[in-house]
Amino acid sequence: MLAFFTSDYVIHLLILIGIYFIVAQSFNLSFGFARIFNLSHIASYAVGAYTTSLLATELNFGILPALGIGVLLSALFSLIVGGIAVRLEAEYFAMGTIAFSAMVTALLINWKSITRGVLGVPGIPRPVIFETALESNTQFLIFVGVVAALVQLIFGVLYYGSFGRSLRAQGEYENGAKSLGHDTGAARMVSFILASMVGGLGGGLYATYVSYIDPSVSSFAEMVFVLTIVIVGRPGSYWGILVGSAAMILLPEIFRFVTMPSEYLGPLRQLLYGIVLFLLVYVRRANLFPVERKL
Amino acid sequence: MTSTLNVLKIENLSCNVSGTQILNDINVTFEVGETVGIIGPNGSGKTTLFNCISGFMPGISGHLYLKDKEIIKASPSTRARLGIGRVFQNFGIFRDMSILENMLIAFEGKRPILTTFFPWAKMNRVHKEQALELLGRVNLAHRASEKASSLSGGQMRLLEIVRLLASNAEVFLLDEPTAGVSPKMKDEVVGLIQSLIELNKTIIVIEHDINFIQRFCERIVVLDGGKVVLDDVPEKVRADPRLQEIYFGKA
Amino acid sequence: MSILPQLLLNALITGGIYALVTSGLSLTFALTRVLNLAHGHLMMAGAYSFYYAYVQRGWGLFPATLFCMGSSVVLGLVTLKTFVAPFARYSVVLALVSTLAFATIIESTVSLIFDVNVKSLMVGAYPESFEWCGVFITSLQLLIIGLAIVILGILAFIVHGTGFGRFIRAFSESSVTTESLGISKSKVMGIVFIVSAMLSSLAGVLVGFETSLQPTMGNAYTLKCCAIIILGGLGNLWGTLVGAFLLGLMENLLVGLEFGSFSIPTGYKDAVAFVLILFVLLVRPEGLFRKRGRAAC
Repeated sequence: MLAFFTSDYVIHLLILIGIYFIVAQSFNLSFGFARIFNLSHIASYAVGAYTTSLLATELNFGILPALGIGVLLSALFSLIVGGIAVRLEAEYFAMGTIAFSAMVTALLINWKSITRGVLGVPGIPRPVIFETALESNTQFLIFVGVVAALVQLIFGVLYYGSFGRSLRAQGEYENGAKSLGHDTGAARMVSFILASMVGGLGGGLYATYVSYIDPSVSSFAEMVFVLTIVIVGRPGSYWGILVGSAAMILLPEIFRFVTMPSEYLGPLRQLLYGIVLFLLVYVRRANLFPVERKL
Repeated sequence: MTSTLNVLKIENLSCNVSGTQILNDINVTFEVGETVGIIGPNGSGKTTLFNCISGFMPGISGHLYLKDKEIIKASPSTRARLGIGRVFQNFGIFRDMSILENMLIAFEGKRPILTTFFPWAKMNRVHKEQALELLGRVNLAHRASEKASSLSGGQMRLLEIVRLLASNAEVFLLDEPTAGVSPKMKDEVVGLIQSLIELNKTIIVIEHDINFIQRFCERIVVLDGGKVVLDDVPEKVRADPRLQEIYFGKA
Repeated sequence: MSILPQLLLNALITGGIYALVTSGLSLTFALTRVLNLAHGHLMMAGAYSFYYAYVQRGWGLFPATLFCMGSSVVLGLVTLKTFVAPFARYSVVLALVSTLAFATIIESTVSLIFDVNVKSLMVGAYPESFEWCGVFITSLQLLIIGLAIVILGILAFIVHGTGFGRFIRAFSESSVTTESLGISKSKVMGIVFIVSAMLSSLAGVLVGFETSLQPTMGNAYTLKCCAIIILGGLGNLWGTLVGAFLLGLMENLLVGLEFGSFSIPTGYKDAVAFVLILFVLLVRPEGLFRKRGRAAC
């Protein structure tokens, strides 16, 4: 029995949970706290992933510095998105961020000279820490665990401190927060950029783990997956996101017990995610997102 | 046994929205052709009461009888078809449509939906004639094809009320009909309401203008904190010391 | 420059299809203030239902069309009753998420029933193209343009010239006032959602004949519809029509023409819509045609 729990597959799942936790927790900052429905979050993730990969493979950067630059580029990306989108209301904002995301996907597919298009970027190395490359998955798991813990710590400070309070206040009643002196535009921008940076970090981690990425990392399906994690874990919850990530990564494992042709696996997983997302939003609709006061 | 003179009967009506009790055990009866005024301080639940009668409030309990028929579960459009007409505080006029269209839509509300696809039917011509006639009563017939947004507040109010004549309403819920109306137009609005009274319609008015209430209402219902505090003829209500208390607090 | 007329014709064809599919979204948005992010998927699903009847089962054009319209009725009602209406009282974000889930469900279900490979509705040979006023056009393309003009014309007439159209316009201004006049919200919404699904299915079928179908095509079309609606102004039907043809024009011109030695790679054709959305949102969020959009209470 113990052998099962230390088996390679379990470690693989735990790594995925860790990575997606980082991506989802950062999405939680804008979606759950600041009530910004930013559907280009996955594009930040993709920017981080591709930056890290290309720097490591084309320019022989070490993974750790590449991750750092990936994070910075994600921040830059969010500045562009935020500059345009942050002033818009719900429907326009959703459309604008989806459009941004789609544009990133189009660029990833078509700008072949840089991104290699649909061929993707292979051969991404593992990070090297203290002279050792984290080749074994167990080592990598520890690495991801440490990063995730750091992320959680940072977000803890954000959520429970005055910044989080300010975000929650303006998420509920923006004019009320403004009348108390909060610069809501700046706060939202900051949360936007922070979320994007950590999302980019998650993307870089994913790239270095699976060693090969292609434009599908920016796909809409991925965005919906991250959104589902946050909804499962409850938007605005601190630990709930961990539960959500674990639940969503482990859920499709039930298909292991059913034998079926492999071409059904992908769509079936998609279907499961879609149904889970809908059921959650439907059942919890009265409590999930209180309508913001407009007056 | 309920009297057949009752057109609207509100029984044990309570309304609770996200934990706040807005209306608490309201019991009022209205008879055919009556004109009743509803007054009370801001926040006492007057508009909410209208919303409950119109069918726009969730979270209500109790009974509502229109001509002895229970309508508490009916949708707003069903209640309208049964004879409830509503005038809204913020002018329920469709500003992007023409004045004539605002009238036509009231006629069409009573027709089965499928018939509204054919603009060449005879019914439409009849409606147009009737609409112009009604508009004539409020001096708006010559502006029938103008956009409703070009109307002044008073004219909008006139249009709103006369539109209810088109939809054959019997119980008129007027939410502050003279609010936002210039003093000159007020007289016209009042005149129009008077003609409604002459048509034996049941009028329930929310108003702050005490003179208006005095002139027309046979009865006044006073709401405070979601409860009916007084329900009597105007002289008795005016004389009641509780009225002073409600508006100005205990001396 | 001699390819310009051909490009213009292609723009007309693409624009026609876009107009057909977007008009449905424009109507449902005007009515509910919810942007149905699964709209493109409804187009795809309708087209696949036609594929099932026409290609897989070999039924004739007419029975296949009936089947497709029948599925559209079901799809339209399901969209309204299950994925949009339950969230009417709550934050619009919930409805958006719900439609996202719906899109995922539709896409995966279609992928499961039919596989993910590209499919075409054209069973026989492609129709011959004939020359007409210097451009090449096929009978199918002529049909597309013709259908688009006729159907959209009828739609515009209904919305602006009939009582039912008045109901739609009234609901988009204030649903509370409209209901208080006795007009049944559920009936009007039901009809509009059904018609919207039918229009999308028709557009999908035309695309299936003219090019091809794939379960993943839904998203791109949803985005293009959004681009068109933003261009034309949310809730404005005429603006939608003009926007659709404008988008078709821009897509075909920007990608087809050569600017000196530089021309935009065709892979970026879809991206035109995305850039357009961002540009308009940046510069003029109310759209090119200003129309006062009032939230339906």
